Amino acid sequence: MIWTIWKKEVESYFSSPLAYVLIGLFSLITGIMFFNLLVTYTDGVQAIPQDMAQNISFVEEVVLKLFANINFLFLIFIPLLTMKLFSEEKRLETIDLFWLSPTKEWQVVLAKGLSALSLVVSMLFMTIIFPLIIWGVGVKDLSLLGTSYLSVLLNACCYISLGLFCSSITRNQIISGLLSILGILFLWMITWGGHLNSNYMISEIFNYIGITSHFERILRGLLGTQDIIYYLSFIFIFGFLTVKSLGRRNW
Amino acid sequence: MINIDKILVVDNVSREFPGRKAVTNVSFEVKQGSIHGFLGPNGAGKSTTMRMIAGLLPPTSGEITVLGERVFGDNSNLKNKIGLLPENAPLFLDMSVEKYLHFVAKLHGVKNLNEQVERVMTELSLIDVRRRLIGNLSKGYKQRVGLAQALVYDAPFLILDEPTNGLDPQTVVELRDYIRRLALQKTILFSSHILPEVEQLCDQITIIHQGRVRATGNLTEIHKKFRQGLVLKIGLKMGEDLPDLSHFGKYDVTQEHLVGKEQQFHVIFEDDADCRSELGKYLISCGLNLLTLQVESPELEDIFLQVTETKK
Repeated sequence: MIWTIWKKEVESYFSSPLAYVLIGLFSLITGIMFFNLLVTYTDGVQAIPQDMAQNISFVEEVVLKLFANINFLFLIFIPLLTMKLFSEEKRLETIDLFWLSPTKEWQVVLAKGLSALSLVVSMLFMTIIFPLIIWGVGVKDLSLLGTSYLSVLLNACCYISLGLFCSSITRNQIISGLLSILGILFLWMITWGGHLNSNYMISEIFNYIGITSHFERILRGLLGTQDIIYYLSFIFIFGFLTVKSLGRRNW
Repeated sequence: MINIDKILVVDNVSREFPGRKAVTNVSFEVKQGSIHGFLGPNGAGKSTTMRMIAGLLPPTSGEITVLGERVFGDNSNLKNKIGLLPENAPLFLDMSVEKYLHFVAKLHGVKNLNEQVERVMTELSLIDVRRRLIGNLSKGYKQRVGLAQALVYDAPFLILDEPTNGLDPQTVVELRDYIRRLALQKTILFSSHILPEVEQLCDQITIIHQGRVRATGNLTEIHKKFRQGLVLKIGLKMGEDLPDLSHFGKYDVTQEHLVGKEQQFHVIFEDDADCRSELGKYLISCGLNLLTLQVESPELEDIFLQVTETKK
C-alpha cells in the first residue's frame, strides 16, 4: 500500500514542472554557493603566509559552510514540496479515495513523507558533483562529508514531517506552505533564543528543543544518542499529529 | 443473525456540525438488489447521509449497517464492499485513466487487477481514452471515470450521488442504461434532483428534507400514501359532458381537456373506495360513450413538492 501511494506521489511530482524546476534551481543555487565558497577559500589561503594558511581548514571553510547553506535553502524548498500534499487533496476531495479504501492514515502519511524525501534525495544527489570536483583537484580531506549529508537529510526529514502536518490542517496550499516556513524559522529561532538567555538551564533546554544545535553537532561528526532521539522523536511527533489531524474527519 | 435482505440499514442517525444539524434521526432501509432513490432539495442532507453510509463521516448518533456490519466498526474489509461516486468525483487530474483505475484497484487490494480495470473500462466505454490525462477529458468522461473508480473493486453496494448531474442528454441516457444494467448484480443507492429519472430507475425511494426523512418505502406505497382520495381519469366522446356523480360521494373535477377526439376529465373523489365498476355502468346507462376509466397516481413530483413544501 505504502509503495503504491509513494509511486503515485513521485510520478505526480515528475509529471508537473515543479520537480524539475526545484531540482534545477537547487542545483544552480548550490553550484553558485560552492563556487563562491571555493573562491573565498583560495583567496583567503593565497592572501596569508603559507605556514598560517595550513591552519585554515578546507572542510571547515567550504564543506561545512556549503551544507549549512543547503540547510538554509530547505527553508523554502521543502515547504514547496510538502505544501500541497494533503491540502490540495482535501480541497479536491481526492483524499476520500484513501478513506474509501482499507488504507490507514499512517500509511498515507508515511508514503507521502517518503515521496517528498525522495525528491530531497534527488536534489542532494545533484550535489555529489562537488566532492568529485574537490577530489579531482587534489583535495583529499573530505572527512566530514558523510555526516554532512546525514545532517541535512535528518533536517529534511524533520522539515518534511512538519510540512506534512501543516498541509493536513488546511485546504489552502499557500497557507500550508507559509505555516511550514514559519515553523522551520521557529525551530531555528528557539536555538537563537537559547543563546540570548543567560540562565544556563533555560539556555540548555532551548538548545535541545531547537534543531540547530543538533544539526551543527552532526555536521561536525559529533553524532550522539541525544541527537538521534531528538530527530526520531521530532519526526514521530509530527507524523503522529498529522495522522491525528487527518483522522479528525471522524469527529 | 445478518438479514441479507436489507443491504443497508440507517437507524436513527443524526449528524451535527458546529452550529447546525445536518441530519436528524434519519432512518431508512435499502433492500438487496434494488435501486433506491434518495431525493431531497439542495441542502436537505443527502450528501452528508451518503458520506456517512460510505464511512467517510461518522454520525453524531445512531447506527449504520451495511451487509449486517457496522460501518464505523473495526472492519476495514467492509470498505471493499461499498463503492461511492460522490457529487464531485475524486479524480487525480494529472493521471491517465488507466493508471488512475489501477491505483484505486491497488488501494482496494484487487487481485486480478488488469482484468478488473479492463472490465470497467470496457463497460464504461473508456478504452479509447485510457491513456489520456483525466484533466483533459470532458465532464461526461470524467463522470464515467468517477463511476469506474467506484466499480473497479466490484463492490456489491453502490452509492451514487447525483451521477447524471450536469451531463449532456446523450451521456445521461447512456449512464441511466448502464445503472439499470448494474442493478442486475448490485444494490444501488441513487440520489438525484431529476424526479422522472428516479421514477424510471428506482423501485424504492426515500425523501429527505431539512435533514429529516419525510417518506420512505416502495414507490407504489408512497404513491398510495400521498394519494388524497381516489383520482380518476374519465374519457368520454368529444362533445359529451360529465353528468352529476354526487351519489358516488363528494367529488371535484380538477381538469378537463380534449385529447384527440376524447374529452378527458380528472375527477377526485374524497372517499378512496374504488367505485369504477358502478361508475362505468352508470355512465353507460346515461347514454355516454365511455372511452377511458382509470385510476391516476399522483406524479412523484407532486409528492415531492407536497412533502417538501407542507412541512417547512
